Amino acid sequence: MFKKLILMSLLLGSLLLAACGDAAPAAEGAAAEPASTEPLVISAIPDQDPEVLQRQFGQLASYLSEQLGVPVEYKPVTDYAASVTAFRVGDLDMVWFGGLTGVQARLQVPEAQALVQRDIDENFHSVFIATKASGIEPFEDIDGLAQLKGHTFTFGSDSSTSGRLMPQYFLSQAGVTLDDFKGEPGFSGSHDATIALVESGSYEAGALNESVWDNRVAAGEVDLDQVQILWRTPPYHDYHWVARPDLAERYGDDFPDKITQAFLSLDPNNPDQKEILDLFGAEKFIATSNDNYAQIEAVGREIGKIN
Amino acid sequence: MQKTLSGRTSASPVAVPRPSLFNRKTGWVLLFIAGVIWALLQAGLLQHDFVNPGGWERVRRFLAAGLNPDLSPDFLRLTLDVTITTLAFAVCGTFFSLIFGFVAGIFASEVWWQSILPGRVGGRSLYRAPWLAVRSVLAFLRAIHEIIWGLFFISIIGLDPLSAVLAIAIPFGAVTGKVFSEILDEMPRQPYLVLRNSGVPPTLALTYTLVPQAFLDALSYAFYRFECSIRAAAVLGIIGAGGLGHEIFLSLQSLRYEQIWTLFLALFALNGLTDLWSGLLRRRLGAKLSCSGADCVDIDSPMSGTATLQLYRYDRVVRASLIIAALLIPFSFWYIQPNFGKLFSERTLLHLGEVARWAFPPDFSQLPLSEWLELSAVTVAMSLLAIAGAGLLALVLSFPSAHNFLLPGGLLVPSTAGLFHRTLGWAVLLIARSILLVARSIPPPVWALLFIFVLFPGILPGAAALGMYTLGILGRLMAEVVENLDDRPLTALKALGARGGDIFTYGILPLSSPRFLAYGLYRWEEAIRATVVVGLVGAGGLGHLLTEQLSSFDYQGVFTTLIVFVTLIFLVDQISAAVRRTFREN
Amino acid sequence: MPDLPLETSNIIFELRNVTHQFGSLAAVRDVTLQIRAGERVALVGPSGAGKSTLISLLNGTLSPSQGEVWVLGQHLARLSPRGLRHVQRQIGTIYQQFHLVNNLRVIHNVNAGHLGRWTFLKGVISLAWPLDVDTAAKALAQVGIPEKIYERTDRLSGGQQQRVAIARVLVQQPQAILADEPVSSLDPERSREIMSLLRDLSQTTGKTLVVSLHDIDLARSHCDRIVGLREGQVVFDRPADEVNETFIRALYKITA
Repeated sequence: MFKKLILMSLLLGSLLLAACGDAAPAAEGAAAEPASTEPLVISAIPDQDPEVLQRQFGQLASYLSEQLGVPVEYKPVTDYAASVTAFRVGDLDMVWFGGLTGVQARLQVPEAQALVQRDIDENFHSVFIATKASGIEPFEDIDGLAQLKGHTFTFGSDSSTSGRLMPQYFLSQAGVTLDDFKGEPGFSGSHDATIALVESGSYEAGALNESVWDNRVAAGEVDLDQVQILWRTPPYHDYHWVARPDLAERYGDDFPDKITQAFLSLDPNNPDQKEILDLFGAEKFIATSNDNYAQIEAVGREIGKIN
Repeated sequence: MQKTLSGRTSASPVAVPRPSLFNRKTGWVLLFIAGVIWALLQAGLLQHDFVNPGGWERVRRFLAAGLNPDLSPDFLRLTLDVTITTLAFAVCGTFFSLIFGFVAGIFASEVWWQSILPGRVGGRSLYRAPWLAVRSVLAFLRAIHEIIWGLFFISIIGLDPLSAVLAIAIPFGAVTGKVFSEILDEMPRQPYLVLRNSGVPPTLALTYTLVPQAFLDALSYAFYRFECSIRAAAVLGIIGAGGLGHEIFLSLQSLRYEQIWTLFLALFALNGLTDLWSGLLRRRLGAKLSCSGADCVDIDSPMSGTATLQLYRYDRVVRASLIIAALLIPFSFWYIQPNFGKLFSERTLLHLGEVARWAFPPDFSQLPLSEWLELSAVTVAMSLLAIAGAGLLALVLSFPSAHNFLLPGGLLVPSTAGLFHRTLGWAVLLIARSILLVARSIPPPVWALLFIFVLFPGILPGAAALGMYTLGILGRLMAEVVENLDDRPLTALKALGARGGDIFTYGILPLSSPRFLAYGLYRWEEAIRATVVVGLVGAGGLGHLLTEQLSSFDYQGVFTTLIVFVTLIFLVDQISAAVRRTFREN
Repeated sequence: MPDLPLETSNIIFELRNVTHQFGSLAAVRDVTLQIRAGERVALVGPSGAGKSTLISLLNGTLSPSQGEVWVLGQHLARLSPRGLRHVQRQIGTIYQQFHLVNNLRVIHNVNAGHLGRWTFLKGVISLAWPLDVDTAAKALAQVGIPEKIYERTDRLSGGQQQRVAIARVLVQQPQAILADEPVSSLDPERSREIMSLLRDLSQTTGKTLVVSLHDIDLARSHCDRIVGLREGQVVFDRPADEVNETFIRALYKITA
């Protein structure tokens, strides 16, 4: 029996080696083929309704493939840091990043380009919310944030621009540091979780993406007897598509422009394309550039999320 | 002087003084209680409320969704697909961790080093230094959580499935190596020495003698590792491995409770079936082995001892398991398609160089010493609360989950029990086992996001999340201890007319406590490791610092924090070794 | 109880046509046996003859597949669990492998003899702060190891552990002592000491002793009645001084 086991494991081992042997040449083979068939790998960081976005990304992939004339492959990644890293090492060619993650990604991949964003992204806002029981009153001026001192507070995901970076920036503008909260500030992980945690009273206040808040309120999913909006922040730039610099090399010099065009020409009157726009919660896409994110980069450095 | 029955004389019976209540053992117990109280104070006991009554409505809604999981065909297809993915990752991860572990096990064994470096220098054995060095390397590799390994491999290899496979294989391989080396060192050495004395080189001699002798124990352990890999694969889903963990996180982010339940059910089924299979197999492999409490060396392997292969030659379960494994392994590699070419590609080397350049040298001046101490204290406090809570609950649940306890013919029930007792016994067993299964199936970060609704932020929700997960694993391990108890001393107590309660306190509890303790300490180390994945619920500690550094791409900071983390785990390792020594010897 | 024999007061153990099956294997077959108060009975026979099974039937840890086991005038199968425990308190058992809880101190293993009488609470308290230390110390002195009282049991040698098991029986103060190959794990010198201890115990207190043995000489020198068992059946049952080589050879003879 023991001999048999040894034999069996040897067999397995050789099977495996054979598998490795097969895999390696296959990879080389793919690289050797004409560049045009190498797929464009895209991904997206989780945002509003990430499960819908991630699970229905196929639609966008096939639209882009049709428009660009190259195969497009979608790879799901849930973790912000993992998607930035995968972009850096070249496993993701083009990613739907948030403001902060986009800057982080471009700093790690010099020459990477911010291409397009949604109409709402050039005028993005965060909202601060609080339970009614906390006694914090809505305010009009940024100085009102000082009221949050001594209360518990939660951000969204720790790398989120609208759920963490910009709220923390506006807090510091109002002279509120993280030590001023009661206990450590929380990181709920998502905008919806922030609403839920504040609504249930686990945290007295929180900050999140404006469009998620508006959507949930419109859908009647927020108990406005429990939780209220305190303040809407001034605008900043948020989500955008960032592409690696080697795309032009791989697919031709006009390729980045073709991508931009493909997004700009998404037509709300075409039912299929309307679905893609709805998926992103956008009326239309607009062109953007790296310069639009100078403020985000500065804030990121100030807060320590960019080194 | 008093005359004994056999005619000898002996000293007066009162000659032996009663030993003090305060010995090393009670010292550790007091220290533990003090530690838990300190941890509770750290968590803010007496300063604020722990429980948030406003969160119960959410909990109710979450539980209600459990009655109505998302069973739409599309979602079921997705669930099946990601379940297979998680399984495949676990299989591939286990496969490599076993290869790595078995090789590492030989080179981390005392007996191997003793053979190649038999000399002594200045009264000290020459082999000890390199032997301990190898063991430290293994300890370092396993101290780092799978998630961190995963992010590391993504940053040098990329998004390839290989990253997740390696993230499981490295730390689990290191644990396997440690356990396997200890099994090897415990095996009778005569056959090995015979070969050595006839001039066979050590590694070859080891492969022909001790390795086959240890094979069954190692096989049993391999299946336990597989259970752990399933859970690790689920957590790794978050960073891009796909699978159940990934989908659960997506649904959790937008609080789609119905979907979460469907995925949970798949996770329960996957974990439950794996545990059932592995438990059955290990019972077959271990049924004839006996392990009397403190004699067991390894704390990580649920069973240990010596056995001969002949006993299992025709065992159907063993045979079927090997065949299933033989089919599952190639299938899994085909299913996830890891690209092994990437391991040695130029690109990987380039990125490795980059990451190394960014990470070195570690910089402890980023934070003042007091801050490092404070963060470490929070981490330790969280793990202490987790293990204390999990240990107590596991103690309560492990006995009713053992099949030889409350069922008819069990340790406490006469074999003549009627239908009512039989039904009750089974009901209690199923409930206890289900609680443990649910507790260990749900990844700790998911527990954390659930607990944060009912507990105010701070150390406590983090500890509760880790505690739940630990409870699930510890309870199962402890139930296995109970099932493997030597029942002869218990029969002796029964025969002298002791009641169930007495048999419990004078037999079952003392007989099982050394292994309970060993498992508890082992899971304590694991809990500290896992603080990394629950750092975000306002619990702070090193775990939170690490997460912030990771998302800021502060590689130098990450490296520095990891060093502090590993040091902390080494300290905990020393403490738990000292505790085990005390309880073994006194 | 109409079917009770008249001389019941004198009979401690009685087996009536008892058979015990383990699966398809009958370990004890149709055995009828009476043991009276104060008797010292040796059960001898080859391995697998059913000696251990018989002992387990006598102390109520096994119930027979067929037939009746009567102990102290009680039919064991008719007793409630509580009633059974009550009878079991009157019977002390000593085992080949000692069957002690190894990682408890000696005092607790000895005090386990009290468990039939103590309340649950008293038992628990005693684990933390040993109670009735004097009784235990006296019992340990009687078996010759008073100095080991606070030692951990697994630190003791085999002979010393068997003495702890006997001390436990002393503390239990039963009417009868069953010993299942109590000396098989010990060397000849230790065996003789332990058997002498058991004999003296039985002689000085008048307790009934039933002991299964491999060593015929020990049986002859320490008991007054010998029951020969083979394949689950009684082959002979005689006073010790009447058992000669002929009986022994017949008992151990090899049948094809």
